[in-house]
Amino acid sequence: MLEIKSLSKTFGAGVAAYHALRSVDVTVEDGEFFTLLGPSGCGKTTLLRLIAGFEQPTGGQLVLDGQDIAAIPPSRRPVNTVFQSYALFPHMTVAQNVAFGLEARGTPARDVAARVEEVLQLVQMDHLRDRKSAALSGGQQQRVALARALAPRPRILLLDEPLSALDLKLRKEMQAELKRLQREMGLTFIFVTHDQDEALTMSDRIAVMEGGRLQQVAAPRDLYDHPANRFVAGFIGETNLLPGEAGNGQLRLAGLAPAPIAEAGAESGAVTVMIRPEHVVVGQEAANAVHTSGRVDELIFFGTDTHVKLSLPGGGSLTARTQNSLHSGTHLTEGQTVPLSLPYEALRILPDEAAHAV
Amino acid sequence: MLSEAASGEALLRRAETRRRWSLAMPALIVISLFSILPLAVMVVYSFLTPGTYGNVEWQFSLDGWFSVIFERDLFDDTLGLADAHLSILGRSALLALATTALTMVFGLPTAWFIATRPVASRAYWMFLITVPFWTNLLVRTIAIQEVIRADGTINRLLLGLGVIDAPIQMMFTNGAVLLGMTYVYLPLMVLPVYAAIEKFDFRLAEAAYDLHASRFYCLRRVIFPLIRPGVIAGSILVFIPALGAYVTPRLMGGGRAMMWGNLIDLQFGQGRNWPLGAALSVSLTLLVMIALVLSVRRFAGGGRADG
Repeated sequence: MLEIKSLSKTFGAGVAAYHALRSVDVTVEDGEFFTLLGPSGCGKTTLLRLIAGFEQPTGGQLVLDGQDIAAIPPSRRPVNTVFQSYALFPHMTVAQNVAFGLEARGTPARDVAARVEEVLQLVQMDHLRDRKSAALSGGQQQRVALARALAPRPRILLLDEPLSALDLKLRKEMQAELKRLQREMGLTFIFVTHDQDEALTMSDRIAVMEGGRLQQVAAPRDLYDHPANRFVAGFIGETNLLPGEAGNGQLRLAGLAPAPIAEAGAESGAVTVMIRPEHVVVGQEAANAVHTSGRVDELIFFGTDTHVKLSLPGGGSLTARTQNSLHSGTHLTEGQTVPLSLPYEALRILPDEAAHAV
Repeated sequence: MLSEAASGEALLRRAETRRRWSLAMPALIVISLFSILPLAVMVVYSFLTPGTYGNVEWQFSLDGWFSVIFERDLFDDTLGLADAHLSILGRSALLALATTALTMVFGLPTAWFIATRPVASRAYWMFLITVPFWTNLLVRTIAIQEVIRADGTINRLLLGLGVIDAPIQMMFTNGAVLLGMTYVYLPLMVLPVYAAIEKFDFRLAEAAYDLHASRFYCLRRVIFPLIRPGVIAGSILVFIPALGAYVTPRLMGGGRAMMWGNLIDLQFGQGRNWPLGAALSVSLTLLVMIALVLSVRRFAGGGRADG
C-alpha cells in the first residue's frame, strides 16, 4: 500500500517558483491498476518521478508499507519504471538490458539467467534475446522496457506514458496485454497517461490531475458518470454543459420545465448541468425527461454512431449521439427541427463555481 | 533502342563521376600539397646520403634506415642494436602513455563538469578550455617553468609560509616533463570527451539508478561504454603528438632525458644527418599508423560486441 500524504513539489523559489504538485493526498492499494490522468503540465509525471525517487518532495510524505521512502535514493526503492522513451541501453542486447537491474543488485548469475528467461517469455521477446536494443522496432522496445522493469520484481511498477510512441493498433494491443499482465501478476501498476480512453479501458482507479492538484480519484465508470467538477466532466469523454438553476429538489434548465432531481436540494442558485451526448434522446419525447426541441446543424458519421450537433431554441448548443444500429429508426437531415428529451437520471449537477455554460 | 539507352546511361554516369572528382579537387590539392608531399619528401630524404653541412646529397643510401635500428661500434666496428634509439623510443612511448593517462584523469571530470552545466554557460566553459590555445606552446611551457622553478611561485610561497627550508627541485625532473605535457595536451582530451558526454542521454543514467545501480555501477556499465568513442578519440589526439613531443620535454626536462622528437631534432641540427632524421620521422609515423590501425580494429570489434 502506497500512501501519498500532502505531497508537494515546488521547482525554483520566490517569484520564479513553479508549483508542480500542490498537497496531493491519495492511497494506492496493493494489486491495483492506478492511473494518473491529466493534460501535460498537470503534475502527473512529477508525481511519478517523486515515487520513483528522481525528485525530492518539498513537502509531505511517501509511505510504502508503513515506511517513509522519501529519503531513499531511487536505486534502493522497490519500484521500477517503464520510461516514456524506453531508455533502453543501446550498447546492450535485449537480455543484457533485462539482466541489468538484477546484476546491479548483485543477484547470482544463475538466478539472473533464469529470471531474464522468465520475463522475456512473459513479454514474448525471448526469441530476440541476443538482438541489440537499438535494432528493435518501437513495439519490441516497449516490451523489452517492460521486461527490464519487471525483472527485479518491483513492489510497484511505474509506467510513464509507455504507449504514447506506438501507433494506434499496436497501442490497443499493448493496452490489453498490459492489463492482462497486471491482473495475472497481481502487481501494483501506477500508470501515467494523458489519453483518457487508455485510462478508462485499463484502470481500476483513475486520479484526474490538473494544475498540480488531484481533481478526482474514482473508478472509470464513476468518473464518467459522476464527475466531481467541470474540469473532470470536460476532460473525460464528451459532454454537454448547460446553465441552470437549482433549489428545493428542483432543477430548472434555462427556459425549460423544471426537473425533480434529488441532488438539486444540495445546491441553490446558478449551477452547471452536465449531460453526456449518448443520453440525449433525439426525435421523441421520452418519459421522465425534460422536453425541448433542437435544430440539426450538423451530422457527423462515426461508424457505430453519429454525432448530432443541435442548436437549442433559447440559444446555446447541444451534441447528441445516435446509434447506427438497424433498429434505431430515426433518419435525421441537416436543417430539420426535432424533439429532444433529456432524461432526469442523466442530468448531473456539477458543484462548480462557474455557472456559465460552454 | 535498349543499347542506346544503356550507353546514354553510361555516359551520364561518367559525367557524374567527372563532376564529383572536379568538386573534390580543391580538397585533393590541399591534401597532396600539405600532407602527402611533405611525407614523400621525408621518405625520399631517408634514402639519401647526408651532406657534409647538413642537407642531403642525391645519392641512394640505406645508411639512414640502417642507423635507426643498428649502430657500429666506434672502436671495433662490430654491428650492434642501437640501444640508445630503442630506449629513447621506449621512454617516449612511456611518456606519451603517462600523458594520455593523466589527461584522462583530469580531462574526464572536467569534460563531465562542462557537459552537465546549463546549456547557456557551457559555451563559456568551453571558451576557458580553449584559451591556452591562443598562446604559443613555447610561452605556455615557459609559464609553467615560472611556477615550478627553484625560485618560482610554488617554492617562494612554501618558503614564505615556512613549510620548507630549501626550495624543492621540481624543474628538470620526469615529474616536470609530465606536468608540462599534461597541461599542454589536456584540451585535446577534454574536447572530444565533452562532445561525447554532451550527446549522452542522461535518461539512461536515470534508468540505471531506477534499476538499482549505484553511481559507480552506472558509470561503469552505462555511462563509460557510451562515451568511450570520445575517450578513444581524445586518447589518440593526445597520444600521437605526445609521442613526438619536442618542445615540452626539452624545456621541462632540460634536455637530460631525450625523447624521440629531440632525437629527430638532433639529426637535423647538430648531428647533420638528415637521412637518419628523416628515417626516424618516418619510422615514428609508421609506428603510430600501425598502432592506430590495431587499436581501431580492436575497439571497433569490441564495439560490435559490447559498445
